[in-house]
Amino acid sequence: MSSFNIMDYAPIGIMFLVAMGFAVSQLLVTQLIGPRKRTATKLMPYECGKDPVGGARDRFSVKFYTVAVIFLLFDIEVLFMIPFAVAFKSLLGLEQLSGVAYGTIALIEILVFISTLVIGYIYVWRKGTFDWGLQARAEARAEAKSQAVKSRRERKRPLPVKTASPAEA
Amino acid sequence: MNTFFLTELVTPDPNVRIILPELVVAAAGIIVMLYDSFFPKDRVTSGIISLVGLAVSAFLLVGLWSSEPLGSTSWNGMIAHDNLRLGFSIVFLIVTAMTVLISTVWVEREDVPVGEYNALLLFATFGMMLMASGNDLVVIFLGLETLSIATYVMAGLRRGDLKSNESAMKYFILGSFASAFLLYGMALIYGATGSTNLTVIAEKVVNPNFPALLLIGGAMMVVGFGFKVAAAPFHVWTPDVYEGAPAPVTGFMAAGPKAAAFASFIRVFVLGFPFIAGVAASNYLHETWMTVLAVMAMLSMTVGNVAAIMQNNVKRMLAYSSIAHAGYALVGFLGAGAANRGSSQDAAIASVAFYMLTYAVTNLGAFAVISLLAQKNDRRSDFEDFNGIGFKSPVLSFTLSLFMLSLLGLPLTAGFMGKILVFRPALEAGSTLLVVLVIVAVINTAISAYYYLRMIVVMFFKERVTEWVEPKMPIGLAVALLVAVVGVLYLGLFAGGVIEKFSQSRSGYEAQLK
Repeated sequence: MSSFNIMDYAPIGIMFLVAMGFAVSQLLVTQLIGPRKRTATKLMPYECGKDPVGGARDRFSVKFYTVAVIFLLFDIEVLFMIPFAVAFKSLLGLEQLSGVAYGTIALIEILVFISTLVIGYIYVWRKGTFDWGLQARAEARAEAKSQAVKSRRERKRPLPVKTASPAEA
Repeated sequence: MNTFFLTELVTPDPNVRIILPELVVAAAGIIVMLYDSFFPKDRVTSGIISLVGLAVSAFLLVGLWSSEPLGSTSWNGMIAHDNLRLGFSIVFLIVTAMTVLISTVWVEREDVPVGEYNALLLFATFGMMLMASGNDLVVIFLGLETLSIATYVMAGLRRGDLKSNESAMKYFILGSFASAFLLYGMALIYGATGSTNLTVIAEKVVNPNFPALLLIGGAMMVVGFGFKVAAAPFHVWTPDVYEGAPAPVTGFMAAGPKAAAFASFIRVFVLGFPFIAGVAASNYLHETWMTVLAVMAMLSMTVGNVAAIMQNNVKRMLAYSSIAHAGYALVGFLGAGAANRGSSQDAAIASVAFYMLTYAVTNLGAFAVISLLAQKNDRRSDFEDFNGIGFKSPVLSFTLSLFMLSLLGLPLTAGFMGKILVFRPALEAGSTLLVVLVIVAVINTAISAYYYLRMIVVMFFKERVTEWVEPKMPIGLAVALLVAVVGVLYLGLFAGGVIEKFSQSRSGYEAQLK
């Protein structure tokens, strides 16, 4: 077995130092040489260019969460396929295992993996996660229709007779 | 480059036949999920597909029982095929099939996504089966997470009900916390032994790399598993979660995930941290976990039974009762831990599997009646709501009484046989600690009579002041009730055949250890 050698981890240590050094040096340099002009806008909490209005405990549409979940799903798919692609080339050259080539086994396994993801994709598609525009349009159309029906009904109905109001009676 | 891969490559050992039952359940789950997305208005077919999938899986499992030699493994020892796996997997399949049947009532009455619910149930079952068959810490953890995530969602299936939301949220946060403990424990065990394979760990505990890590890792795994089986002092989430979750889901949670957690708990501790004569390191570990679990068992039984007396809500009462039952099952677990490797240990493990079977059948029967009577959003689940229904709906009240007597452990019912079988290995082990444990368990059974009999008293001897309209019983629920009644009586009268099947010893563990 390989023996433990602390110096094998030196690159990680260097990485830490570089990361910390970068952050600290950037802050220091701007502190030292940056001009300071305080304006009301600059002193506002930063929120990606928007005015920070209202509390943070707002209600968000659930769509954002579903999109985030789907992103995770397909993000991991790609991540998983990169090492497969790298290893596949070497596997192709390997000898066979009880009649089946290593490459074939690996290909079947990745196909099973992808088909599972495709099933997930079909599922979210059928559930209407991608229909933001369609859904909104359908809602708008339904509302316009109900408005039209209401206004037509109001036009047909005779206007309220003024003398009927109790104030004048 | 090629030589690098040649040396590093692990020879794949795909023995697909062994995990075919698991794969069938997962495939059925996927089919149900897709079917539901294409035909969302169909509320019946998804249940039928689930039942067919479960039946096929059970058929394959029973076939494996005789065709595949016990002790064989696949995927380089990640999946074990032994009595523990077979016995518990059958329990899970029965639990899920009954839950699908019970849910018909609630699915008809309430506006819940049926197809998704059935798919989640099947995925949870897949996770449970992996937990029972996993012989590797990683597989066990994967199974546990598959199970837990599905259960978190199911607990909160009533979107509009605040209690259901609370239940899901509490279960999710505390459950993730417990999973983290478990995972950390697994990492430390890996650090101490250099492997995640339980067979290798069992050999390595004789001479671990870091004995202290082994103890800390074991302690953290006790926390994680203790949470999942709802044993005191890690039981605090149980009443709230069980009360808020929809009644069929509560029945499922008390029967299925608890049994699954026991399956992996036993595999990790009894088979992974064994007693080896004359070796100090492993014996210290063994003695420590035996003592800790004995204390936990006593606490669970006492806390569960005493707290159950004070409940006014039936679901809450059954939640505390499930804590107490986790304590009783731990007695058999400890009996297995103390037994010598071989047929007596096999019998002790089989007794725990059998106990979980009796508890599952009885408990699901009780929850079937309660789901039917509790009406929408489980509004009517207090003791008062059951006042005087005894002779007005005799079928429901007599079956519920039978289940209460079985939970209490009256002779001729399944609960009695289950208790006898888990107490026996503990007594045979001949250790003072375990004898004390059994005495505590028997005293606790007497305490529990109060609240189980109270249910019967309420139904038959209290006056009903409000009007009583008997709810209509759907066919699915009627079938589930019939299965539960027959199961309770069959397991109580003719337990011999089942227990023999569960503990057929082919010296499976020795073969696995080689």
